[in-house]
Amino acid sequence: MTTMIAVDGVGKTFVLHNQSGIRLNVLAGASLSVEAGEAVVLSGPSGAGKSTLLRILYGNYRPTSGQVLVRHEGHLVDLVGAAPRAVLEIRRRTLGWVSQFLRVIPRISALDLVRDPLLARGIGESEATRRARDMLARMNLPESLWTLPPQTFSGGEQQRVNIARSLVDPAPVLLLDEPTASLDAANRDVVVELVEAARARGSAIVGIFHDEAVRSRVATRMVDVTSFSPRIGSAP
Amino acid sequence: MSAPLDSAAKVATGADGDAPLLTATGVTRFYGERIGCEDVSFDLWPGEVLGIVGESGSGKSTLLRCLAGLDRPTSGRIGFRDGSRVTPDIFALDEQRRRALMRTAWGIVHQNPRDGLRMGVSAGGNIGERLIDRGDRHYGNIRVAAVDWLQRVEIDPARIDDRPTQFSGGMQQRLQIARVLVSEPKLVYMDEPTGGLDVSVQARLLDLLRALVRDLGLAAIIVTHDLAVARLLTDRLMVMRRGRVVEEGLTDQVLDDPQHPYTQLLTASVLAA
Repeated sequence: MTTMIAVDGVGKTFVLHNQSGIRLNVLAGASLSVEAGEAVVLSGPSGAGKSTLLRILYGNYRPTSGQVLVRHEGHLVDLVGAAPRAVLEIRRRTLGWVSQFLRVIPRISALDLVRDPLLARGIGESEATRRARDMLARMNLPESLWTLPPQTFSGGEQQRVNIARSLVDPAPVLLLDEPTASLDAANRDVVVELVEAARARGSAIVGIFHDEAVRSRVATRMVDVTSFSPRIGSAP
Repeated sequence: MSAPLDSAAKVATGADGDAPLLTATGVTRFYGERIGCEDVSFDLWPGEVLGIVGESGSGKSTLLRCLAGLDRPTSGRIGFRDGSRVTPDIFALDEQRRRALMRTAWGIVHQNPRDGLRMGVSAGGNIGERLIDRGDRHYGNIRVAAVDWLQRVEIDPARIDDRPTQFSGGMQQRLQIARVLVSEPKLVYMDEPTGGLDVSVQARLLDLLRALVRDLGLAAIIVTHDLAVARLLTDRLMVMRRGRVVEEGLTDQVLDDPQHPYTQLLTASVLAA
C-alpha cells in the first residue's frame, strides 16, 4: 500500500476581520490517510467542513495548524508552508481538481482545453489530440462544438468540457468537488465510470458527492467530517 | 508518520535546479518624509508571474519603478541574474551599464502606451528600435521581426508604416507589448497593462498576454488593482498597503482564503474575481 495523502492534526479557523473579527472554527484535529487505489468520500451535513478540507488538500486554503502530506514524485511533501512554485509544481504533476465549474479562458477551443493537461505532462501532440477527442466523445459533447471556445456553451456543456479536461489523464491524487452535480443520468454514469477507472489505475481519490447513489458507487470508504468538528468535545 | 519527508523547496528546485531571476531585499523608497514602499523582499523565479495588488497609493507602482531600474531605492538591493551573469544590485552598476541591462534583460509595459512608444515613429520603427538598441543592424531581418511581432499581437502587418497616433488605444497597447517582447527579455514589468481600455478590449489583451507569457516562458511582474486580472494572469500575489506587503502567497490562496484584514476587504469589495 502506498500512502498518497496523509493529513495530520489539521485545524482551520477563519477570522473575519471586517465582521467584528468573528472566528469561525471549521476544522480541528482533522487526520486522514488515503492510499493509492482508494476512494474516500467525505460526508457530513452542509457546513461541516467537507469543502474546506478538500480545498486544504489542494493547497487552496491554508490550514491554521497541522500538516498535509502529499506523495509527489515518490516523496511525501508538506503542502503547508510550501513555496508557491512548489505547490504549483505539485498541482501540475500530482494533484487534480475536478469541480462542476469551468473557468472559461477566452478564445481557447474545447479540444485545446482538454489537450492542454496532456501536453503539459509531455505527451506528444498527436497522441494528446487523439485522447482528447476520445474523451469529448465519451462525455457526449457534439463534435461540432469541439473547435469552439466554451464561452458560449450551456452550463452543462461547459461542465462536461471541464470534466473531460480533468479526467483525460487522471492525476495520482484526484480531488472531486461535486463533479456530477446537475449532470443528467447518462453523463453522471460516464463520470462515475471514469472515476472508477482512475481509481483502478491507482489514483487516490477524495471527493464530495451530494447524490447518495453516486456516493455509494464511487466510495471505497466514507469519512464523516463531523468527527473533525471543533464544536464537538472542545470549545473553540 | 514514518514516511520520508522532503522539504517542499527541494521539490521546486528538482527539475530546473536554477536560482531566482530577481531578488529584492529590503527595498525601500521614500519621497522626502512620505513612504513610497518600505522593506519589500522577495525572490522571482524564471517563468513565474507575480502580481502586485493594492489600492491607489499603496506603493505598488513605486515598487515596480524601483525593481525596473527607473527609480533608485532609498535603501535595499535589487539583484538580477541572467544565466551565469549575476548582478548583486542593479543600482550599484554605473548608469550606462544599468541602462544596457534595462535594454536587454527586461522590458517595461507602461499603463499609458504613450509612455512606452515613440509616437512620431512608425509601428515597424517602434518594434525595430529595440532590436537596433540590442545591436542588430540588418534592416531586412529587423523588418521581418517587426512583421512577425505585429502578427503575434494581432495587428495587420499592412499597418507597419503607420504611426501609433493612428491606432486605437487597444492597438497601441498591443504595439507596446510587441516593442517590449521583440528583444526577448527574460522578465517583463507591467503597470496596469489593461487600465484605461474598454472591457472587451481588455479581455482580448489579457488573453494575448496569457498566451505570450506561457509560450515564451517569461517571468513577469504585473501591477494591477483589478483582482480578476490578477487571477487570470498571475501565479503569485503580493498585497500592498501603505507601502508595505501585508500578505503574499499563491494567487488562488490569497484571493480565496485571504488572511489579512486589508486583503479580506479587497476581495470582499469586488463582484467576482
